[in-house]
Amino acid sequence: MSLKDKYAIVGIGYTHQGRVPARTALSFYVEACANAIKDAGLGREDIDGLICYRHFQPAPGEREVTPYITAQRLGLAPKYLSQEANCARSHLHHALGVLEAGLCNYVVIAYADNALSSQRMFDEIDPNKAVFGQFGYPAEYAMAAQRAMHTFRTGPETWKEIAVGQRKWANLNPSAYFCDRPLTYEDYYRSRWVVEPFRTVDVCLINDGGRAYVVTSVERARDLRHRPVVIMGIGQHNPSSYIDQSTCMAGPSGAKVAGETAFSMAEITLGDIDACEIYDCFTYTVEITLQDYGFFEPGEGQDWFKDGAIGPGGSLPVNTSGGQLSEAYFMGLTPLTEAAMQLMGRCGDRQLGPKTNTKEPEIVLCSDNGATLQTHCCTILRRF
Amino acid sequence: MAYKKPLPQPNADTRPFWDGCKQHQLRFQKCRDCQYIRWPPSIICPLCYSQDTEWIVASGKGKIYTFTVYHQAFHKSFENDLPYVTAIVELEEGPRLLSNIVGCSPEEVRCDMPVEVIWEDINEEFTLPKFKVITKPNGDS
Ligand SMILES: [Zn+2]
Repeated sequence: MSLKDKYAIVGIGYTHQGRVPARTALSFYVEACANAIKDAGLGREDIDGLICYRHFQPAPGEREVTPYITAQRLGLAPKYLSQEANCARSHLHHALGVLEAGLCNYVVIAYADNALSSQRMFDEIDPNKAVFGQFGYPAEYAMAAQRAMHTFRTGPETWKEIAVGQRKWANLNPSAYFCDRPLTYEDYYRSRWVVEPFRTVDVCLINDGGRAYVVTSVERARDLRHRPVVIMGIGQHNPSSYIDQSTCMAGPSGAKVAGETAFSMAEITLGDIDACEIYDCFTYTVEITLQDYGFFEPGEGQDWFKDGAIGPGGSLPVNTSGGQLSEAYFMGLTPLTEAAMQLMGRCGDRQLGPKTNTKEPEIVLCSDNGATLQTHCCTILRRF
Repeated sequence: MAYKKPLPQPNADTRPFWDGCKQHQLRFQKCRDCQYIRWPPSIICPLCYSQDTEWIVASGKGKIYTFTVYHQAFHKSFENDLPYVTAIVELEEGPRLLSNIVGCSPEEVRCDMPVEVIWEDINEEFTLPKFKVITKPNGDS
């Protein structure tokens, strides 16, 4: 029995985001969840499932944010509370599981952090890598990108189109970190190396803030405030591998099987997609994800992205909030919630349709990705 | 001068590897049932689930699978090394190992370049395997 068209996203919760000092991570979780619940037109008594990300070490003086604590501060007593929550890719799968099993009716999924103000998001050190001066994900994705440059035609010429295209969307989004900062190709090449071949502009933001959304059945969604955003297809793939042994670096990444699974459930093809919201921890991640979904052959990305194809007025809009490169980083919730907001028609100046000289969206493709391209979730959403 | 960089933190799985390094040997586990040579160390073979394992000594030769060039230090102790190269080296025997490419300029490093291990004795307890590009007798790399 397929999950196609059975469940929907019905509410989105935002918080202040960007640089928001003097706030705990917990405060962003609580605010994002409360806003999502209110946005859906629900009350706390309705919420019977809560799934929160849980991974980063807390800032000094703060407790680790567990879903228990978040539930307590929200006055919730859920029937399902996820305590294993390291992998944001799996959260919607968990939610669909407990909904489908009849264990819950309304599930909230959230991610939040005060990573920018507390200066600590990517500072976790793996000692056996640090021995060689290898620190964090930028270097691991830079290695993947380097291998890709060796394997097919890609590099800064391709990635600049992604950085610049997404920035144009951010310039239309008042809550985007880089709303007021345009980015030219010259700016791209002037940006300094983080770890070669990545420049600062190839790397996602570290910011404060939170994001949450509510999932329920399409039947229940009918009676709520917003036009529901229906989950047509979902697929996950985890070709797990220690970074040293990764065979995913130049593709196919987890996106290939995850995408095939989601498209098969949705019973649509690439041509049906009106826009993409792609997990963009790095520019290259956007390229390899779209490549593995089949939008272009290896190395053809450079031609596919050029002439503003993914920006406002482009042939296939990608990351219409500015994405994690230019709006804000909330794990896979940045792409997923933006897709839902677009399909609800609530995106203001960046709304897909006549306002941005793009097609009014019926179907939007979302991705979430983790480790170094080894864990992937693809979700296809449509307008109700 | 005392060594300031982070030190390896061996555990029960990786201790034999680091003990091997101390003796200038690159040791990897080999499955006695299916002959697969694995890394990182594990109690069972990920292909056939056999626990029948021996440690072999690798040749130390391989090629650069991929690499990155650091232009910023994320840890103070690496500031004087900038720019430096971290790489994943694919050894002849199969395993891929995270290490550094040393002894050449970062601009010269390319994927698939042949390399061989060199040993850096950093203190009484640890030796690090690092790699240098193999230069042919005529001087071409
Ligand atoms: Zn075996």
